[in-house]
Amino acid sequence: MTARTPALRLRCRLRHCAVGALAICSLWAVPAWAQTLSGSVSSVDEPVMEGVLVSAQRAGSSIIVTVVSDEHGRFRFPDGRLPPGHYTLRVRAVRYDLDGPKTVDLGPASADVAIRLRRTGDLAAQLTNTEWFMSMPGTPEQKRPLIECMSCHTFERIVRSTYNAETFVPVLKRMAQYANNTTQARVQSRLAEREVHDDLVRKLAAYLATVNLSGGPAWPYELQTLPRPKGRATHVIITEFQLPRDTIAPHDVRTDAQGNVWYSNFVENFLGELDPKTGENRDYPIPVLKPGSPMGTLDLEADADGNLWLAMMFQTGLAKFDMATKTFQIFPMQAALNDDAQQQSMVMPRSARVDGKVWTNDVARQSIMRLDLKTGKYDLIDPFKFLAGHQHGPYGMAADAQNNLYFMDFGDENIGRVDAKTGEATIYPTPTPKSRPRRTMLDEQGRLWFTEFAANKIGMFDIGTESYKEWNLPTPHTYPYDVFMDKNGQLWSGGMASDRVLRLDPQSGSAIEYLLPRPTNIRRVFVDNSTTPVTFWAGNNHGAEILRLEPLD
Amino acid sequence: MTLDRVWLRVVLILGFMLAVSGSSRAGGVGFTDDEINEDDGPSYFGFVREVDGPGVADAKVTAALKDRGALVTRTDIMGVYKIPGFGKDVDPKDITISCAKDGYKETSVERRPSTDPKEPVEIECYLQKQ
Repeated sequence: MTARTPALRLRCRLRHCAVGALAICSLWAVPAWAQTLSGSVSSVDEPVMEGVLVSAQRAGSSIIVTVVSDEHGRFRFPDGRLPPGHYTLRVRAVRYDLDGPKTVDLGPASADVAIRLRRTGDLAAQLTNTEWFMSMPGTPEQKRPLIECMSCHTFERIVRSTYNAETFVPVLKRMAQYANNTTQARVQSRLAEREVHDDLVRKLAAYLATVNLSGGPAWPYELQTLPRPKGRATHVIITEFQLPRDTIAPHDVRTDAQGNVWYSNFVENFLGELDPKTGENRDYPIPVLKPGSPMGTLDLEADADGNLWLAMMFQTGLAKFDMATKTFQIFPMQAALNDDAQQQSMVMPRSARVDGKVWTNDVARQSIMRLDLKTGKYDLIDPFKFLAGHQHGPYGMAADAQNNLYFMDFGDENIGRVDAKTGEATIYPTPTPKSRPRRTMLDEQGRLWFTEFAANKIGMFDIGTESYKEWNLPTPHTYPYDVFMDKNGQLWSGGMASDRVLRLDPQSGSAIEYLLPRPTNIRRVFVDNSTTPVTFWAGNNHGAEILRLEPLD
Repeated sequence: MTLDRVWLRVVLILGFMLAVSGSSRAGGVGFTDDEINEDDGPSYFGFVREVDGPGVADAKVTAALKDRGALVTRTDIMGVYKIPGFGKDVDPKDITISCAKDGYKETSVERRPSTDPKEPVEIECYLQKQ
């Protein structure tokens, strides 16, 4: 072996560094797989099909990627998004099923497939809740109670049943005793029995018996469908991240600065974390405070330090999750208030630094609560004490810089404000009656953006001028749950009915509705403003998955 | 008061009674709700208008109950506001109505006499351009 001089050793080291750097650069510049999957979609009725959702899932992967066919009937997965492997294909195109091919093998080269659809033999299985609402006969007053059913299951369960007006009654009475944090995968009963009005149950039972299969093997009305996506609504990539248990019910979803996704689990006592790069899921167990009471949390909010707070529903109280130590600090409800009906669905810690107080709600008493972080005690504030005895329900919350609270009156038609210093409430009725405001966000211009769940509208309340604006949603019976204003001034919304994500420009009123690949029960929506274009996130509450929607324009 | 104004008041009172009877059922959440409400006190309505002038649209109207809270609404295009009932325990005399709009100042508030405690309470609020 030849002995190397110091100069030669230096040259060698430099050469190794250069080769290494080149290798790293080439890895950086060229994805490990540059091939793509593309193709066309056709059927016997339409040789060129726009707006067909094509989904691909690699064998053994929990990640499903979906793109939409364009006006030429062509679809294309983005370069590098699908690693080589054996893929199952799936489509969503109302009135059609996938005829073939149903699988594709992706190697190092690109692949192009011709997808053929056939007419479906079971249209009812494809209808969204919105389409059932459109199809079912009946008055708005008759249909109105059904908007509660969507919290736990789709309408397909109702319309395929054969209960008559009499046999439906005990079913409805039984369901009234289920906790609102119930899914088909995990049914939970309330400990405190709810009062049920027999006459209202019978009225609803009589109506439902006219829209289900109690009268015969077919529905006595025509099934109506919404059109497939067109134009800009096809310019999107949707990624589903399947979670490891069917019982996981992601409710509120948000990303952190590292791009990880955090979510509340509506029916289990875990805080969830998803790494969207790998699809890996991690559960952080939340202490069980009330064994025997329904499990799960709802509202997930960040405080000014970036730590997460959870409203603990029937487990009662609030939980703070320290993002640095990954540990919980629990703030239990004091015994005097902690009965079986006690329930915290919301939490607002955003401006707690101001006065050491965190806002929450008492669902059973239709009231606001405020946690004193020093004493750990909750104050009860009834913002409706001077109003007539209507049904109320403080729900979505936001706090301004002085920690004054703004809340949505989901039980009625108001936005409320509670003064942080005096505790006095001011109630602002929405312009549309019976609107049932649900979730909200406060933007940097002091505008509360909120959904009017029962009115099928998005609203804006300017806290400076104390005035409202409202926008009608393009599709009836959408029943929006939440709305988020992004950095470009666009509104994003979703809900439990339409399997669609709405993007609304409040300046022009123009809207895009992105159809989702499968039945999707959306609650809290979140937009990651750190990407361009922005990235939309939500949970599929009944489908045990996290959803990412990337608009292409 | 002219005959026209009497008729206008009658129409407004009747219309508002119908509207309030509907909104008192608002906000039900299914068949477990208490949708029937017998605890309402009288409701409130009236004009916000310029002194000896037309009604003022989109004026802010505050109905305040000292130390308990307030309800804030806005006038419609005719300058009319409507406020659903407060609790039965609230004495209508304790409700203070005020109105405001940029470029105006409030000059007076006039409460119409009412003998029936169940009838809507009519309160006019007058603004003057600044």
